[in-house]
Amino acid sequence: MNKKRFAFRSILIFVIAQAAWFSLLGLWIYRYISSHIILSKVDDSLSAQIMSKGANIFTLVFGCVLFIAVSMGMSLIFRNLTVQYKLTKLYDDFLANVTHELRTPLASIQLHLETLKGRNIPLPKQKKFIDMMLKDANRLKRLIDSILEIAGLEQKKAVYQCKVFNADAVIKGLVEEARIQFKLPEEAVHIEGHADCEFVINKDAFKILIDNLIDNAVKYTKNQLRIRVVLKCTRKKLIIEFADNGIGIAPKDLKKIFKKFHRISHPDVPNVKGTGLGLYWAKEIVKYHGGKIRAVSQANGAMFRIELPVYYVSKKHYLNRLLKSKKRMKF
Amino acid sequence: MSSDSKFSGSKILLVEDEETLASGLEYNLTEEGYAVTWAENGKKALELFQAQVFDMIILDIMLPYIGGFELARKIREESPHMPILMLTARTKVKDRVKGLEIGADDYLTKPFHLEELLARIRVILRRKQWYQSSSETVPVYRFGNNEVNFKNLSCRAGKKQIRLTYQEAMVLKYLIDHKGKIVSRKELLEKVWDMSPEVETRTVDNFIMRLRKYFEPDSSDPVYFKSIRGAGYMFVNNY
Repeated sequence: MNKKRFAFRSILIFVIAQAAWFSLLGLWIYRYISSHIILSKVDDSLSAQIMSKGANIFTLVFGCVLFIAVSMGMSLIFRNLTVQYKLTKLYDDFLANVTHELRTPLASIQLHLETLKGRNIPLPKQKKFIDMMLKDANRLKRLIDSILEIAGLEQKKAVYQCKVFNADAVIKGLVEEARIQFKLPEEAVHIEGHADCEFVINKDAFKILIDNLIDNAVKYTKNQLRIRVVLKCTRKKLIIEFADNGIGIAPKDLKKIFKKFHRISHPDVPNVKGTGLGLYWAKEIVKYHGGKIRAVSQANGAMFRIELPVYYVSKKHYLNRLLKSKKRMKF
Repeated sequence: MSSDSKFSGSKILLVEDEETLASGLEYNLTEEGYAVTWAENGKKALELFQAQVFDMIILDIMLPYIGGFELARKIREESPHMPILMLTARTKVKDRVKGLEIGADDYLTKPFHLEELLARIRVILRRKQWYQSSSETVPVYRFGNNEVNFKNLSCRAGKKQIRLTYQEAMVLKYLIDHKGKIVSRKELLEKVWDMSPEVETRTVDNFIMRLRKYFEPDSSDPVYFKSIRGAGYMFVNNY
């Protein structure tokens, strides 16, 4: 409520200030023209002494330029404030989401521990409870890791230990791992094509990338999920296309979805939980490995296209640097 | 764990989308003797609520399809007496106030202690029983031009017809039961909501304001719901 009031007040002050500037400018022009008309009617001999045309016009034009400059300056300041306001709102939403994502698994762990402590539970049930707690602990770990690793990537402090891998085997393996992890049936994920080339990656980071894309597909698909992964190698690039049959991405959101904290809301899948970090993290990981990721608009569902450089020992300096990089953060 | 056999068999609708938490809650509530039905999203919860009879609802707020606040509102429209306990990770005061004003009987934040949750469930069920038996003995109460039916929550205020929410009726009932005595905000929070007073006394003020709006001839100069400066509120009926 206070934020809305603050935004409204800022807009109001801006509009009033602009109106004031332009009224003053109008008044000034009016004054100049009316004075000019009066003075032009005065006797020629006098007008020559009173009016120095060049100086007056210069003052008027210079004044107008100054006014426009001030007005533009104010508009820029206002635009920056609006951006800051939006960022603060995104950050607030992120904090609320992270708090929720931290508290919920913690509540579950506490509940199961208190249950184990307070009740006589048969052994098979105890094991089930321990599995639940481990699942929640993993969820907490993933969330904490995501925040720390993204911070590391942003500050360029993160250094993944990279190796040369066969793209086909690694990607197909990681997609299958993720399918099992997300409890998706075999027919839900379909891989097409071959990527018979080598690329330089950190396998853990790449797993996060694949997991995030699948997590995204699961969250934003209303009907039975179908994921299609297409692999292709050109002379210089490895191309991975990752498509789902979910709600898709509106053209206006194609770039925004990779921004930090940005989240899509859609009436078909309301109240989707998350932190708004998943795709941002995916983008940072791809960028770190010297590649590009973009979302593509398509008729049904969302499609992500990832391009990564193929490994050439002699030519790709960036990939060689990745291979030589020393471990600074543990990934 | 202590259980109250009086409420054994009470039907609870558990609305929670987190599978692990829901499964732990379901186990514990079943062990306490309650009959639990689990709904993993707001849409399913509403369908179950409309199809079956429950004694109370445990409701998360951040739910898929229909959020907890909206669901509570829909439930209140259909069943003003249904006790609702909100169990959520949203800890902000404004969320608590919103939840309580929509008509939640209690609001517990995650993570929580199992004993506390079970105790609160018992209090809610006990309070529901108190309200039911007490509204059966005195179902209709009249003051001034107002008439309140505590059974169906319908009221007549002069020529106006109003329907109270369950919480409004509870506050009114408590004040009427303590007619002529000062009732502090703290007492109302503890007795009506079973909440610690540091939660938010503003909630109580909002409810009193609503009662004044419904029943007072002039809400700015109240004759029935008087404010006692620094002490609380007093219900007066000398008319």
